[in-house]
Amino acid sequence: MTTTSFTDTTTASWDDALSAIEKGYELGWSDGLPVVPPTTARVAEFIGYAGRPPDEELGELPERRRVITVEKAAANAVMAGCLPEYFPVVLAATEAMLDPVFNLVGPSSSMGGAAVLCIVNGPVRDQIGLNSRNNLFGPGNRANGTIGRSIRLILMNACAAIPGLFDRSVIGHPGKYTYCIAEAEGETHWTPLHVDRGFDAGDSTVTVFAGESPRQIRAVGRPEAILYAMADVASSLGTSMSTSGSVGDVSVGIRQGQIVVTFAGNSGLWRDWTKDRVREYLHANIQRSVADLKRGLVLRGDIEPGDEAAMVSLIPEPEDILVVFAGGEESNMASVIPSWGPKVGSTAVTKAIRIP
Amino acid sequence: MHDGIHVEQAGLPSATICTDRFIPTARGMAKMWGAEDYPTIFTQHPIENLDRPALRERAEGLATEVAAILTGG
Repeated sequence: MTTTSFTDTTTASWDDALSAIEKGYELGWSDGLPVVPPTTARVAEFIGYAGRPPDEELGELPERRRVITVEKAAANAVMAGCLPEYFPVVLAATEAMLDPVFNLVGPSSSMGGAAVLCIVNGPVRDQIGLNSRNNLFGPGNRANGTIGRSIRLILMNACAAIPGLFDRSVIGHPGKYTYCIAEAEGETHWTPLHVDRGFDAGDSTVTVFAGESPRQIRAVGRPEAILYAMADVASSLGTSMSTSGSVGDVSVGIRQGQIVVTFAGNSGLWRDWTKDRVREYLHANIQRSVADLKRGLVLRGDIEPGDEAAMVSLIPEPEDILVVFAGGEESNMASVIPSWGPKVGSTAVTKAIRIP
Repeated sequence: MHDGIHVEQAGLPSATICTDRFIPTARGMAKMWGAEDYPTIFTQHPIENLDRPALRERAEGLATEVAAILTGG
């Protein structure tokens, strides 16, 4: 079999499936796992399904002189193991992470080690079988696994986010292999994330967020207990949000950032809580005292009278808390995903998915 | 690196200081922008944890090299 180049892509040939997989490694196309050979026919099938020109530009990464086209996204979606019907989600996620306010050069290069979390909302979730329940961040679902992996391969192969070269993550996290979830809409009275962010419920969207790894939260199954534990976890020292070095707003000496929170379990548990109320509670309680921030050398100076009681919010505004109802229905587990950096350094972006 | 190279290419002399853990990244960025010979000063990593006196001392140690690059010396 042979691949042929569309424009400036590499051409390769192989004799059988195993040698094709090895060729993918040899050419540096892999994230460490075997890639599906991006044959001309398969890549063309993806582009044809999306109904968009192969040379259409999805965006650019000017700092690295990279322009990302539909064709490049398709080759990486094929390699990731996607089905053609997943490809519109990959395209929208790629457009979203190339939006200037996402500032992709930051989270894709930083020592902080972020991954691009994709949160999918709307009818496309059911159309392509995305998982929003048991093992939300875990293995076992092709759509979640391969859409998230496509984004990583696009970052590595099309955006030059090569580990050790332009991706300088000190630790990174497992979400850098794949990091795609859906919201369990219809199983909660809460408005879905994309409606919170200005889209219609019938729209299909993907939200990208430069996130650290999920911190799992286990608490007694009462809203107050879950939220109290969640605020405690999100207020810990050691996240990007509680790091010194404000960017932009010099009146706040820390990197206030956005946050994603997920709630699993039984929606009925939250019947007395709206998403707005959840956000307001968390915004008021995700904070740290000036004294603690000084102990952690986040803020400079000696601890002074009043510092124990003086609290600093770690999140700019309540709407910077992205609330998602997702995860197994068996238990009231939750998660907190701190942002990679300050909101002015990277802001979550939601884009509509263009279903052909 | 990106900004230093662009300032230089815009006609303003620039000197870029990078910590030595980032040598491959700095070289890669210079190559990406067609400036493989762009002079870069590397200093010991890290600098984030230096207090002001230590940072000043480090900067003073690099000043001659910076001046030489800026003046084409």
